[in-house]
Amino acid sequence: MSATEPVIEVEHVSKWFGELVAVSDVSFTVGPGVTALLGPNGAGKSTMLRMLCGLTPPSQGTVKVLGGDPRHDLQLTRRIGLVPQQESLFEGLSAYEFVHLAAVLTEVGDTDAATGAALGLVELDPDDRRAVGTYSKGMRQRVKVAQALVAHPQVVVLDEPLTGLDPRQRLHLITIFQRLGAEGRCVIVSSHVLDEVERFGSRVLVMAQGRLAAEGDYHAIRELMDDRPHRIRIRSDDPRSLAAGLLGGAGVVGVTLEGADATIVDTRDAALLRRSVAVVARDRNVRLNEVTPLDDDLESVFRYLVEGR
Amino acid sequence: MSAVTVEPGAVEPEPGPGPGPESGGARIVDRGYRRYEGRRTGTFGAFRALVAHSMQRALGLRRPATQKILPAIAVFIAYVPAIVFVGLSVLIKDTLLANSNLVPTYGDYYSFISAAIVVFSAFVAPELLCTDRRTGMLGLYLASPLTRNSYLAAKAVSVVGLLALVTLGPPLLMLIAFTLIGQGPDGPAALLNLFGEVLIGGAVVALLQASLSLAVSSTTTRKAAASAGVILILLASAAISDALVKGADAAPELFCLNLLQLPFELVRRIFGELSPDPTIASIPNSTLISAYVGWTLLFAGFTWLRYRRVSVDR
Amino acid sequence: MTATSDRPRHRSRAATRFPIYRLVLRSQVTRARLLALLALGAVGIIVGAALGASNPAPALIDGLGLVDGHLAAGTRFVNTFGLSLLVPVTALVFAAASLGDPDEDGTLVYLWLRPVRRSRIVVAAAAASFTVAWPLVVVPLAVAAAATGGGRDLVVGTVASATVGLVAYTGLFCALGLVTKRSLVWGLLYIFIWEGFVATAADSAARLAVRTYARSVLSGIAELPLRGTVVDSPMRWIAPVAVGLVALAFATWRLARRDIA
Repeated sequence: MSATEPVIEVEHVSKWFGELVAVSDVSFTVGPGVTALLGPNGAGKSTMLRMLCGLTPPSQGTVKVLGGDPRHDLQLTRRIGLVPQQESLFEGLSAYEFVHLAAVLTEVGDTDAATGAALGLVELDPDDRRAVGTYSKGMRQRVKVAQALVAHPQVVVLDEPLTGLDPRQRLHLITIFQRLGAEGRCVIVSSHVLDEVERFGSRVLVMAQGRLAAEGDYHAIRELMDDRPHRIRIRSDDPRSLAAGLLGGAGVVGVTLEGADATIVDTRDAALLRRSVAVVARDRNVRLNEVTPLDDDLESVFRYLVEGR
Repeated sequence: MSAVTVEPGAVEPEPGPGPGPESGGARIVDRGYRRYEGRRTGTFGAFRALVAHSMQRALGLRRPATQKILPAIAVFIAYVPAIVFVGLSVLIKDTLLANSNLVPTYGDYYSFISAAIVVFSAFVAPELLCTDRRTGMLGLYLASPLTRNSYLAAKAVSVVGLLALVTLGPPLLMLIAFTLIGQGPDGPAALLNLFGEVLIGGAVVALLQASLSLAVSSTTTRKAAASAGVILILLASAAISDALVKGADAAPELFCLNLLQLPFELVRRIFGELSPDPTIASIPNSTLISAYVGWTLLFAGFTWLRYRRVSVDR
Repeated sequence: MTATSDRPRHRSRAATRFPIYRLVLRSQVTRARLLALLALGAVGIIVGAALGASNPAPALIDGLGLVDGHLAAGTRFVNTFGLSLLVPVTALVFAAASLGDPDEDGTLVYLWLRPVRRSRIVVAAAAASFTVAWPLVVVPLAVAAAATGGGRDLVVGTVASATVGLVAYTGLFCALGLVTKRSLVWGLLYIFIWEGFVATAADSAARLAVRTYARSVLSGIAELPLRGTVVDSPMRWIAPVAVGLVALAFATWRLARRDIA
């Protein structure tokens, strides 16, 4: 977490719709940079994002964005840009008109220049007169991103922004998000595509069944998962000898041989193993070819937090 | 399972498809997808299922409470006068007999409940036709034994059946009320005759309303627009016909443009009642019947043609 | 990145003025709606012309004696076809969709999440609906009224009553579009069941129907009593406008408090 003032503060927030509890007692803070909001379908991510933008009030708790209440402070909306999940746009407008409308309503200074710049950022032609109703899914998504960024908001909230984009466009948008984060803006992105979320950055908020399951750097989250041994694969020229040497070492829970050259080690202390494996290899005259953590990725963390496996 | 001979020392073959292996009291029951081997009901079964489902849907059955509000309002408006009349027949029979102008005729009753009939027909057909096209269910139905014609026929039967709820039920209640005050039919033959008149009258109203609302519903996938269209056509036709016949003193036959009142006037004729408006009463039965049949067939044909042409791409 | 062109694009100073009004105006005018309502208006003109070409007998009115047949027939036609049908249904079709459609398809968020007062959104939407509905309703009705041969007073009464009715209905149905997703359905029920059925049963109920006030305006200017409750001036003018304004105020309140998808 940054040492600066948090941009978003969520305190004991719950939201229910009749008898359905969508978000249950969630608290977190978010600072500048890119933060990914992860969770399976129905976890409460979209509801959470809507509360951050003031589109729906929390049933309990408080949400503060840039020190203000996004639900009641109209002026705060100038500083928040939202890419909503739903696909609908004002179908009869061109991309230029759509984004220009956003610029006008947000009272941007030079609306034409801002509109052109926002469309250029997402690689859309400002001179294209076609109605957005004729656009492909990917182009519509980019129009949504452009209208969210036209007023240079300090907080950018994106609900599944990569949906419908081809790989090149995804990479391009991810680069934009990273740049926005590096500029000091607070960017929150919700996504299901874990390997792309890893590229945004390492800070995550994981939600499951309306609750916050974890927050922070996902590598650090992994370290905190004490009850789940780390799994590390070591390729060497003598896996049997290496396995014999590692078995019984401090923190090592189990050792498995895989294939002709791999030793899979389960350990409670990955850092200790990394130090001891070199010593064991030297003592046993084993040449190490590779040491790879197998479950230090976001998917493993996510699966553990959300599915418990 | 076929018998297998195993040579000593040989590896036992894997069990084939079918019931899973058993071992020491345990067994595997479900090994995934299996074909349905039971009885298939065919086109008639599909037709019957569609009719039942459509009627349930329109009445809001097996759906949230809010879906029941509109059908409930329509049925309520249609039945309440008849129920009240039955109650009065029991409680103040003598007063009713002494004041015959308090007693409505069968023909009059349809005019009382015209609002309920119009509301019901404006919302039932769009619910049944528009939703299927909007959601893509039409494609699924046509992938079953149903054809476009049998699909339409099922929908038409559903709409007519639903409208019969408000066009047949109330007059039957009226029949009970008349019997209670001693003004019912004399003898079984008269009862059968009257019963037949009630059935025909109810069917006359239901058929024209059904064919009009189906025709309008076939033009759009938006339920609300179809409902608005049905009501607009009915009210506009009534206003225009009134203006021409009563305001402009045009030919009385132009009353046949009045899609709202035309079936009610026919019902009066079926029950042998005289229209309160002498201009309308002067129109021959044959003219009214021809106009009625013409409109009903026109709307039904329009619906059929629309569905012949509609493309089902999902 | 695409090079910025020097030539003026599809923008002008006007595009920055009344952006919400222009947006709603543009989204409301669809071919299907226009055709259906123009057809209805055309039918009204034809019937009005038929009334004008006919020779209706003078009508005997209590307190007035014999009244010109064209005036009587024309006034009744404007009342039943115009005020009871064309005006409320046209207002419903446009006003309910002005905020109802964006709410239903999720595009309302693009207006809501802006530093724009909610009242400005509501007023702009209502104004756009009125702008579209007024010529579609008042022009054909006025032409039909003139065609009936009912005279200048009938035409003036038609324009005034239709306008007053439209103001009230626009406000009401604009609010209805925000209150329920099935606004067209409930609006039709209001027009057909409440105003067409319940409100005709009792004087007190009639005073809760917009149609009563519009009819009173027509009746007052044409100087011809019409069947049903008639409200005296100035209430016949004030009430519909008040209803429209109160409805818009309610819509503003509702918009500020609703959950946006």
